[in-house]
Amino acid sequence: MDPPPTSTLRDPGTLFFQKDGIRRSIISSYWAAIILSLPLWWYFTSIERLTLPSSRVQQLAQQHLTLPISVCIEANTSLVNQVQSILTARIAQEPQRWRGLAVRLEAKAICDKSESETYSIISNNGPPYIRDRRLYFPLDEPNSPLQLVNTLSSLLVPYSSSSDPEHRVVQYSPHYRLAFSLLNEDAAAGGAVMNWNILGSIESHIKPILSRLSPLHNFTIESQVQFHAPLAFSPYPLEGDHSYGIKPSDLTVFVNSAEWTLSSSSSNDPVLHFILFIPSIRRRPLRILLSDDTPSASYAFLLPQWGGIVIHNPPPGYLNNDEFSPTEHHSVFSSFSTQLLALLGAPPLPHEITRSTTDRASLSDWQLDALIRRRALENAQGSQDTLQSIVKLVDQIENMPVGEDVRDDIEDALIALANMYESSSTSLRQAFAYSAQSFGLASRAFFNPGMLALLYFPAEHKYAVYTPLFASALTPIFVAALREFLAWKRARRAKNERKAS
Amino acid sequence: MLGVRPLLWPLTLLNLCLTVLGCTSEHFQENLSINTLQDGKVATKFTFTTLLRGATPRDPRTLDSEDESQHYTVFPLALGQILREYGVTELHLTLNAGNWNYDRWGYPEEKGVGTGAELWAWMGEGPTKTVDHRWRGLRNALAGLFCASLGSLDELRTTSPPQSFTPEGTLPDWGIPHKVRHAPLPSENVCTENLTPFLKLLPCKSLSGIASLLNPHRLFDADWHGMGVHVLWRKDEGIEMKLTFQSVFDPLRPASASTQAWSIHSLFDRTISQGCPVAQKSDVVVALPTSAVYAIKPEPPLIEGGAGIYDVNTVEKPLDIKMMFADQFSFRKSKPCPELTYQRQLYPALEYHSNSTPFSVKRTLRGSSQAWGQLSVVITNQRDTTVHALYLETMPWLIQFYIHTLEARVDGVIKDGIITNITYIPSVPHSRPTTFQAMLSIPPRTTVDITMDVTKAFLRYTEHPPDAQRGWDLPPAIFTPMELGNNGSFLPQDGRIYTPTLLVDLATPDFSMPYNVIIFTCTLTAAIFGNVFNLLTRKFLLVYIDPDKTQ
Repeated sequence: MDPPPTSTLRDPGTLFFQKDGIRRSIISSYWAAIILSLPLWWYFTSIERLTLPSSRVQQLAQQHLTLPISVCIEANTSLVNQVQSILTARIAQEPQRWRGLAVRLEAKAICDKSESETYSIISNNGPPYIRDRRLYFPLDEPNSPLQLVNTLSSLLVPYSSSSDPEHRVVQYSPHYRLAFSLLNEDAAAGGAVMNWNILGSIESHIKPILSRLSPLHNFTIESQVQFHAPLAFSPYPLEGDHSYGIKPSDLTVFVNSAEWTLSSSSSNDPVLHFILFIPSIRRRPLRILLSDDTPSASYAFLLPQWGGIVIHNPPPGYLNNDEFSPTEHHSVFSSFSTQLLALLGAPPLPHEITRSTTDRASLSDWQLDALIRRRALENAQGSQDTLQSIVKLVDQIENMPVGEDVRDDIEDALIALANMYESSSTSLRQAFAYSAQSFGLASRAFFNPGMLALLYFPAEHKYAVYTPLFASALTPIFVAALREFLAWKRARRAKNERKAS
Repeated sequence: MLGVRPLLWPLTLLNLCLTVLGCTSEHFQENLSINTLQDGKVATKFTFTTLLRGATPRDPRTLDSEDESQHYTVFPLALGQILREYGVTELHLTLNAGNWNYDRWGYPEEKGVGTGAELWAWMGEGPTKTVDHRWRGLRNALAGLFCASLGSLDELRTTSPPQSFTPEGTLPDWGIPHKVRHAPLPSENVCTENLTPFLKLLPCKSLSGIASLLNPHRLFDADWHGMGVHVLWRKDEGIEMKLTFQSVFDPLRPASASTQAWSIHSLFDRTISQGCPVAQKSDVVVALPTSAVYAIKPEPPLIEGGAGIYDVNTVEKPLDIKMMFADQFSFRKSKPCPELTYQRQLYPALEYHSNSTPFSVKRTLRGSSQAWGQLSVVITNQRDTTVHALYLETMPWLIQFYIHTLEARVDGVIKDGIITNITYIPSVPHSRPTTFQAMLSIPPRTTVDITMDVTKAFLRYTEHPPDAQRGWDLPPAIFTPMELGNNGSFLPQDGRIYTPTLLVDLATPDFSMPYNVIIFTCTLTAAIFGNVFNLLTRKFLLVYIDPDKTQ
């Protein structure tokens, strides 16, 4: 439709800003601004998620740590072969118990005792006994191969799969606090133990164990005395004598954490508590009852993964100021040391074996090695599991930030794991140290507080803010662009048609 | 048997310490002092002192290495762990509720009576773990131990005024500088949840001995109450830990009461039924009135310095001390004034008491604006001599001082020479509080009016507390009486005066605003942006109307 030539109005189409090109460039500059700012927006709102070495974690998770145990037997090859075949059958029977261990038997005329990590078995008449890593065993008897395999398995793998059904053993930590507490139920009533020779008793009973366990853990020892430590329940008066009893169900609530100040406020290290409980003079003697309500001979009990408790009833006529005698100290601290070993997972010696009298250490090398092997396998497994969980978690939760410290910890844990596999064939202690390091790093990465930062900020909140702000501005821009595009298309079609005609 | 036991005690302990190798002997004593105050109130103070003889604080240079084992008998392990973990040489924590009335009650037996929580500590500078780093750990650990919000004593409140908070014990000579850190938290409410952990630090808890009188129902009902934990080191003795609980009761509160009579049972609703077996000394000290006719039951076995002393370990139990007065209690009138109303005659102002503090202080924040105000401190010297005092303000950055407007007036006339030796560390917004310290010399029997203009900060949206409309508590100002030494230098006297806290009302936003802002912005954007954009991109066309068609 051409304008009539008589029109007095100026055609707006001739104005410079009404040209199609200008209008299109205005619209496109809006779009350019939006598109250029997108990366900036992305940069400012995205969560830092570094890529984790997932493939290496998965690859390592397929591996299993195998710790070699080499045993040298001073006997002829036929006997050793016999032993080997029985042992192989035993391992096939209980694969769970022997998991991660590779026993290699060797027959030699004389074993080289200077070799550090090899166990040697030496023929000896009389009852079997051990000294260092040597086992003196009667090898000449007809059923000695079977006997030897029995003894060896209880020495090398003292943990059967059902040996810790109550989960007594505490989780591995490189550092523990041992808190010894002397708790008097009611000192004001009299007959209380006011002071104990804690330093001397620790020196004689606890320190030897700790120094023996020093390759595994470090310890901080602390002690306190309390004079009013009431129980949260009433002991049950026993008929007959004037004694009182604690029922097995009450043992679980024995620790009255509301009244006894036992918690530590300054460190996060796991604490093992050892409590010497002196009942009030009004409730003595206090005894532990068995499930059939008869008093038990024992005065001590263990709370799994928490600590040990010894109940001590001072003799009648004991006064507040009487001395706590050395024999009493000895019996109490012997219980504590047994409880400590049980909590830390140190295996007991098989009962048919005796220790050489020259071997003065509190734990034999056989026991210590078994404990180290157990902890190394546990740590390796724990570390691999933790690493896998982190990778899985980070994959699942897309809002979870992964910072540099987490990634570095995971990398370091993987390096430590690799080192552990490398050194497992040469040195048990070294492999254990790497496993502990790797487990520590993996746990630290898992519990990194930075990973929780944005976990609870849902995407809906973002849209709630964006929508009202941008919808009102973006809609006209979209519509304008669309309209312009359609107009351009129409114009082109018209042009083509014109050309064709 | 009861009589023999206390005699045997010291012997046994000595015996044990001789047999036990390396035993640091621990000494525990408890004390309760009861005073009648001149305005009819009764002040009580529990003191539990534990002395670790021969022990020394942890040298901060050893903080990186493994600490020695801690073995305690009566000293609380929970506190010992904190002290050693952070290498604290001297520690003072007080949790108080109410205002201590210095004019009527005189100096408190225990100096720290500022309202709310107050924590100050002296620590040696360590090579790797700095004082500030350990200070943060310390206050968080104490917050956990005492269930108090001490964790919020952060950099916004921490100052280091060494003159007002001089060490009360000795500082070890390790060749490293010692630093003080002080932080007040006036808004802290003190209640049972703080007393329970406090009682757990006592060897006899609240089950025997004097501590059995610590009955939360009565203590927290008192007109004023406050607890304190003080740990310090004395060079020749060892580490001393003092737990204190002060309270001011009002026996005249019930309408039926006409005399100041009190008894242990009426104050605490409990009596002492058994002694604490580990307390080597356990005394109840009752100050005997000097100017009233009274009777006390049971008769004190020992009277010393105007006070009756009961040894809880030997005295007959249950112990319930009763104090009775012959006359009705009446306030001492300042001057007979017949023109006063009946009400004023019944409750006249108390006359200044010579036992009281040398001066009285009133501090107020004036001005109704939310942007600025004026801090006013009115000090009246009650003595016939010039009194010197160190004036300390540790103000959070919310209130900023205009030091050039600082003026001291006597009877409305500006006077020079009253404020000297000003130390001023200005605040840094959002991080550091102000430390303002000045020496005041107040002429005899005059009232000095010190004023200073202040601005009130405009806070960020997130800096407001949950109860923003309530306002902000400002910490008390602290006055330390000083003595002019021979060589012209000032020496601090024993005593510290805390003013009541202030409450400041800052500009607070309407906290429901953000959503409204989003809605408004959205509407505005839609209207303005839409219009502008349309104008820029609209295509104008001439439309010709065919006159033939329209018809």
